[in-house]
This record gives sequence, C-alpha cells and structure tokens, in this order.
Amino acid sequence: MRSDRAFRSSSEGVAVPSILAVESISKNYGSAPVLDGLKFEQRPGEFLSIVGPSGCGKSTLLRCIASLMQPNSGSVRHKGNTFAEPPSWLSIVFQDYSRALFPWLTVRQNVAFGLHHIGSRERDERVQAAVQAVNLTHAIDLYPWQLSGGMQQRCSLARSIVVRPELLLLDEPFASVDAQTRIDLQDLVIDLSRRMNLSTLLVTHDVEEAVYMSDRIVVLSTRPARVVEEITVDLPYPRDQLATKETPDFLRLRHQVYTLIRAQAKSNNN
Amino acid sequence: MSRSWGTSALLWQLCLIGMLLAAWQVSATLWPAPYLPKLQTVLASFLNFFHGNLLFSAVLPSLYRFAIGFGVAVLLGSFIGLTLGYLRGLNEWVRPILEYLRFLPTVAILPAALLLFGATDGMRIFVIAFGSIFPVILAAMDGARRVDQVLIDVARVNGLTIPQRIFRVILPAVLPAIFAGIRIALSIALVMMVISELIAANDGLGHFILRSQRLFQTANVYAGVLLLGAIGFVLTACMLAIEGRFLAWYKGWRGAADAI
Amino acid sequence: MRTIAIIKGMAGFLAAIAVWELVRATGTIDSRSLPGIGAILQSMISGLATSDGLMPSVLATLRTWSMGLVIASILGTVVGVALALSPLVETVTRPIVEFLRPVPSVALIPVALLVLGIGLPMQLFMIVFAAIWPVIFSAKAGVEGVDPRQLETGRVFGLSRLASIWRIVLPAALPNIATGIRTASAIALVLTITVEMLVGRPGIGSFLENVRLNGLVTEMWSAIVLTGIVGYLVNGLFLMLEKRLIPWSAEHHV
Ligand SMILES: Nc1ncnc2c1ncn2[C@@H]1O[C@H](COP(=O)(O)OP(=O)(O)OP(=O)(O)O)[C@@H](O)[C@H]1O
Ligand SMILES: [Mg+2]
Repeated sequence: MRSDRAFRSSSEGVAVPSILAVESISKNYGSAPVLDGLKFEQRPGEFLSIVGPSGCGKSTLLRCIASLMQPNSGSVRHKGNTFAEPPSWLSIVFQDYSRALFPWLTVRQNVAFGLHHIGSRERDERVQAAVQAVNLTHAIDLYPWQLSGGMQQRCSLARSIVVRPELLLLDEPFASVDAQTRIDLQDLVIDLSRRMNLSTLLVTHDVEEAVYMSDRIVVLSTRPARVVEEITVDLPYPRDQLATKETPDFLRLRHQVYTLIRAQAKSNNN
Repeated sequence: MSRSWGTSALLWQLCLIGMLLAAWQVSATLWPAPYLPKLQTVLASFLNFFHGNLLFSAVLPSLYRFAIGFGVAVLLGSFIGLTLGYLRGLNEWVRPILEYLRFLPTVAILPAALLLFGATDGMRIFVIAFGSIFPVILAAMDGARRVDQVLIDVARVNGLTIPQRIFRVILPAVLPAIFAGIRIALSIALVMMVISELIAANDGLGHFILRSQRLFQTANVYAGVLLLGAIGFVLTACMLAIEGRFLAWYKGWRGAADAI
Repeated sequence: MRTIAIIKGMAGFLAAIAVWELVRATGTIDSRSLPGIGAILQSMISGLATSDGLMPSVLATLRTWSMGLVIASILGTVVGVALALSPLVETVTRPIVEFLRPVPSVALIPVALLVLGIGLPMQLFMIVFAAIWPVIFSAKAGVEGVDPRQLETGRVFGLSRLASIWRIVLPAALPNIATGIRTASAIALVLTITVEMLVGRPGIGSFLENVRLNGLVTEMWSAIVLTGIVGYLVNGLFLMLEKRLIPWSAEHHV
C-alpha cells in the first residue's frame, strides 16, 4: 500500500494535503451555466458524498474532475498540482452502467481493459483478485448482456478498482438496481474503499445512502450548482444497515441533509 | 418445432423441387423449344465450367475482378467511413455528396468508365468498387458516429492513446454497422461484376452468358446463371459465417435489448 | 439550423466540383474526356428543355421504372405477408427462395431475352425480379414482428381473420414495407437503366449508350449527373412519403 496515504480524515489540526481540491470551477454548456464557482476539498482516504437535485450538474462536475472536460474557469488540483488528461491515479464508475461496459468483451476482458500496459501474468492475477473482490468469479466468462443489473455494476466497479486508483469517482452507481442489490452494493463499496484505503467521491441523490456511506457530505444547489453546505458525518465504523441507521446521530444527519435538499427544491419552484 | 415436422418439411420441400424439375423436363421433351433445354444438357454445360477453357475464360476472370473491386470497397470504404464518422463535425459537410453518389445508379457511370479506362480489367474493377463502396462508407460513418460517448470516456480514463481507442473501442463498436454495409455492398458488387461484363468484356461469366444467348446455346445460358447463383450463395454464406464469428456478442446483446 | 446544414452540404458538393476542375486543370486525365462542370450543367439544362434528347429519355425511364416498382411492391407485399402468415408455405418454398435470391439479377437478362424477347414485358420482368426481394423480406419481417397482443385485442373486438390482416397486420407492418419499397426503388432504377442500355429500349440507358458511341462526351456526363439527381430525388421522395404517410414509423423517431 502507498505510504503517503497512511493518515485518516480524522487527523484534524495537522495540515493534510488534499487528494483533491476543486477550486471555484464554473462550467457552461453554450450560454447555460451548469456549475457556478464550485469549491470543496477531499482529504486522503476520505469518503465524500455529493448530493444535489437531479439535473443540477453532478455528472458534469465529475467529468470536470476526471479531466474528461475542462471547466470554463477555476481548476482542479491533485496534491497541489493541476492536470490536463484523465490521470492514472483516478478511476470512475459511470452513471449508466449498462452502456459503460464493452458489449463485445467478457467480464474478464472488461475488467482487464485498463491494464493494457501490464504483463499478462500479473494482469490475470489482478483481474482474478478484483473479480473476486466484487463476488463475480462465477460469471467471469460471461458477456455483459448475460448479467443482471447489479452484476453489471459490480463488473464496472471491478474494472475501476483493478487499476489501483487513489481516488475513485462513483456517479450514482446504485441508481437503477433493486433495493436489496443496492444495500449489498453499498456495503461492498464501503468495505472495498476501506480495505484499499481509497479516497472515494460518491455522487448520489439518495440522502440516506449519502449519510450511511460517507465521512462528509457536500450538498449542491439546483442548477447552476453551487455548494450549499458541507456536513461532517462522524458515525463510527463498521457501519451496519440496521444498527447504524437506527442511531440518533444517523437520524439527525439524515434530517439535516434532507431539510437542505428540500429547501433547494422549494427555492427552485418559486 | 418437432422432429417429425422437420422431416416432413424436408419431404415437402423435396417434393416441390422434384415436381418443378419434372415439369421442366417433361415440357422440354414434349414441346422442344430453344429456350427450354433438357436438364441433362444444362447439367453438362454446368460441369464444363470446372475444367478446361471455361474455367480460365469465364469463371476466374469474373472472380478475380470481383475480389479486387469488392475488397477495395470494403477496406477503403471502412477506412474512409470510420475517419469521417470519427470527425463528427464533418458529417453535415460530406453526407449530401456521399448520398448523391450512393443513390446514383451505378450502371450510369459505365459509359464514363469506358471512356476513361477503355474496355479493360481496370475499368471493370473500378465499376465494381465504385458501386459497392458508398454503402460501406455510409454504414461505417453512421456506426462511428453512434459509438457511445461513455465507452470513449472509459477508454480515456484508462489512458488509451488515440490509436488504441480506435482499435480497441471504436472498431469493435462499429463492426456490426460495417457488416451491415458490407452485406449490401456484396450484392451490388456481384451485380456490377455481371453488368460490366455484359456491356463491355471479352471474358467473364457475364460475357459468356450473353454470347451464349446470342448463339442460342441456351443450356449454356442457364448453366451460367446457375453458376452465378451458386457464387452468390457461397459468398453470402461465407460472409454470414465470418459475421457470426466476429459478432457473436452482438447477437446476444441485441437479443437481450429486444427482450426488454 | 436547417439552413446551415444545407449550406454545409452545398459546400461539400462545391468541394467535389473543385476537385473535378483541379483534375482537369492539372491534366491528370485527358480534358476531352472530362468537360468542365459549367459545360456539363449547360448541356443538361438545354437537354432538359428540348423535346428530343434527355428529357424524353428521363420520362421514359421513370415511366417504366414506376410500372415495375408498383408491380414489385404489390406482389412483394402479398408474397411476404403470405410467407409470414403461413409457416407451411414458407417452409416448403424456402429452398426455392434461397436458390433464387443470391442470383445477381442482371444475369437473368439473357434468359429473359430468350423467353420474353426485347419488349416491355421483358424489361418489367427484370425490374420486378430484382426489386421484389427487399419488399418480400421486409413485409415478412414486418408481419412477423406484429405484437401478438395487438392481434388478441383484435380478437376481443371480434375482427374476422381477413379484417385483422387488413386493420392490424398491414398497418403494423407498413413501416417495414415502406423501407423495403424504398430499397426496391433504387434497385428498380438500376435495372431499368441496365436493360435500356443493353437492348436499346428507350430511356436514360439507351441515351447514354448512344452518346457514348457517338463520342458526345459532354452530353454523356450531363446524363450521368442527371441520373444521379434522379436517384437522389427518388430516395428523398420515398423518405418524405414515409414520414408523411406513416407517422407511426419508429424509424423517424430515432
Ligand atoms: N453536452 C451537453 N450539452 C448541453 N447541456 C447538457 C449537456 N450535458 C448535460 N447537459 C445539461 O446540463 C445539466 C446538468 O447535467 P448533468 O448530467 O451534469 O446533471 P446531473 O446532476 O448529473 O443529473 P442526473 O441527476 O440526472 O444524473 C442538465 O440540465 C443537462 O440537461
Ligand atoms: Mg448525472
């Protein structure tokens, strides 16, 4: 494991270099503003969630962070440095999982997609390990269309972690799977990101999911997106779908975030 | 479908074919006419194609010109189409002229080709390639334009260079579209092969058929048509086999999408 | 938006013309074989204006073409629907269909000449033989794709078998059939011109053959360009008709 990521988010007071600093970025599509001076930071190893109303610009934000598109102003920094092309320390699970897998590749080949520069021996081992980590070993030689939605999403996840990123971006990864699958995937992602000491940036519009999974939550406004509030979630680990969600702290945080979101929706209707 | 239905279907099919052949033979015997040769003479003419002169003066020249013309259309057409499709902005500029050339009935360029190249093999190859290249170009172009942006994003995030993106993402994604174009091109190329030989050639199957017709060697005419049909059949079958091998994933994928 | 697209498309044509003139100017090809675009257009316009020459040829071609296409469309639809509705007929005739379909249609021209002579029936036979396949297969696919729930709905409303073919199966298959007819229209045009060229029946084909034999290069090019325009317009016309007459076709919503 990398030594520079030994510290956890709770090491307050010490000047920790942020793994990701989003510095007042703005983005327009044509003349329509989508992001409006967004600003926040993510500490190494932190699980950060972004919640915001549907269509407010969350995917656009992730594409700017991943350098898939350039913001009109502002910058994105990694440990103080800017970058122009999608960097190798970053990986992303796209919103629309059924379209993001290569239909002509099996699970094994899909997962191996980003390992083109690595020898075949090590590649096989790493693919096996990643597929195992998301419990897809039994389906490793199937094509995407032979998988259920949840399995497709786990395949995307494996493809993203197999490259051993420092920062994992997840764009509403559990949006269109059934409730039970969703719960399983949430626990899987918490577990993976803690085991691999990943910094994870999760975009979601599900308040409960954000509170349950995160160390911190950034709440966005309606389009054009601005940061409305940042909320620290200090729920203890390991988290448990029943026990954690029944604690007063969880309920209080959920209430707080939900109120903010609802206020956004109201201000939008006026 | 049950097994018994399968065998009985085969019986019915054989029955019908047998009846048609018998009807032909009977009328050829009872009412001899120049255009109704007996089946055994047609068969004898047909077998003549596979040995001696005819193989070299009719069959091989046709196949040779077809192979080059069609090959050029497929390779060059895919390349041009992919490039134009990849540069999405070009679409509106080039599409009208490409569609104009696509729907120009290719026979019409025969006189011009004759004028420019003379009655040469080069002329016939050009006509075959010209007729069949535009469906390939347009299909490849549309396919490349429709490649899902998300897939290209995945490639970029994984650090693929532009050539790698083309070979590992765009080409496989476009292959189904290219094959659809090639299927259209194949039948056009065959037609153009024959037309170019009907109108201006002194060898090849088209020339052979037309000459036989003028000499009232009707068995030869039918045998030639039979052989052209067989060639078309075999080429189509080969292409479907290649397609099935390369696009096994696509069938399943489409099937799954249709089931929703 | 629309006008910008048209302007860009025109620019594409202009670029092609520029290449043409460049080839002429550099002398890569003998300029006697390659007249200037201006001369070609002029010859085309005067050919269309006069009563002998290009105009009657175009009309003759279009007349034969439309007759052949109508026959192929009706016959093809009937055969396609029949094949789709009767598995028995479909199975029994399959070998014959598989045998006839891959024959390059033009190869049959000598056979048709033997049996039918050089008149209009022979030309129509060739057009129909070549153009009927896409109609048959698209009609068949269209009928096979009809949602069984729609047929059940028809049964619930007490439609007879014939009425349900007329009121449910055909409309549902119409978008497919229309696409098949559009494909057929291009094939029919090729066959019409080919037969004209080969046996000298009146039309663009024999016009082209005549001007070629008489060395009238500019007239030849103008006829070629015009043939392209006819092909392009025919396709455009069918696309437009599909959009107008079959608004429920899914193809236009993509
Ligand atoms: N390429 C584009 N051109 C123009 N507008 C776009 C483009 N992509 C997205 N938009 C618009 O920008 C806004 C933000 O889009 P984005 O996909 O970033 O939102 P989102 O928050 O991810 O939405 P969702 O919750 O539906 O995933 C939307 O209103 C969308 O319609
Ligand atoms: Mg989104």
